[in-house]
Amino acid sequence: MIEITKEDFSIDEMIKRAKREDAGAIVTFLGTVRNDGIDRMELEAFREVLLPELEHIRDEALSRYSLKSVEIIHRIGSLHVGENIVAIVCSACHRDEAFQGCRYIIEELKKRAPIWKKEIGKNGERWVGHE
Amino acid sequence: MGHEVNFEWCVMLVKVRAFASFREILGGEKELDVEEGSTIRDFLDKLAIANTRFKDEAFDESGRLRDYVSLMKNRKRIDSEEDLLTKLKEGDELAIFPPVSGG
Repeated sequence: MIEITKEDFSIDEMIKRAKREDAGAIVTFLGTVRNDGIDRMELEAFREVLLPELEHIRDEALSRYSLKSVEIIHRIGSLHVGENIVAIVCSACHRDEAFQGCRYIIEELKKRAPIWKKEIGKNGERWVGHE
Repeated sequence: MGHEVNFEWCVMLVKVRAFASFREILGGEKELDVEEGSTIRDFLDKLAIANTRFKDEAFDESGRLRDYVSLMKNRKRIDSEEDLLTKLKEGDELAIFPPVSGG
């Protein structure tokens, strides 16, 4: 399942959905808001492009790394330090494929997914990656 | 009178969707009229004339589109200088955004 949401999510539920009898490995990646002297961040997305892009990335990972399943959730809206931003859960027969597939998805998401972060703190605000 | 009728035939509506820093400069989503036959580059020039902040943010001193500006026409990437010469059509959607930073 792929989801773009303002709400928090449960990694446990994602893992339940990812489990397969023929999968012996499940790898999860959880990205959270880091305290770089900020209070919160605002995330926005071009939803109509984001969903198909994430589906492409998922399909690429499924075939390249022989994954059994992929779950991706990305949050948008206002998030405070420590809150969940993104979670990726991959299942595969063995750990190598699951680790590589999960890594591939987060790296491609960071390059290709139309999502933007604005950091907001006492010293002002800035769009990440737009120096 | 004749001139007014002619004018109506010569404009078309194009939807602009701007994100992140460009949303703050241009507003999130709006429809603008442009002359029939306008290219993407013509349309960007029109935006720049109307909004100097956009001009400074999107173009360098020589009038070249800055590398970090991304464009999509009808949700497909505009990747080259040549693509900027694509003519727009009534109802086209042009998205403008800075580098992505998800994850």
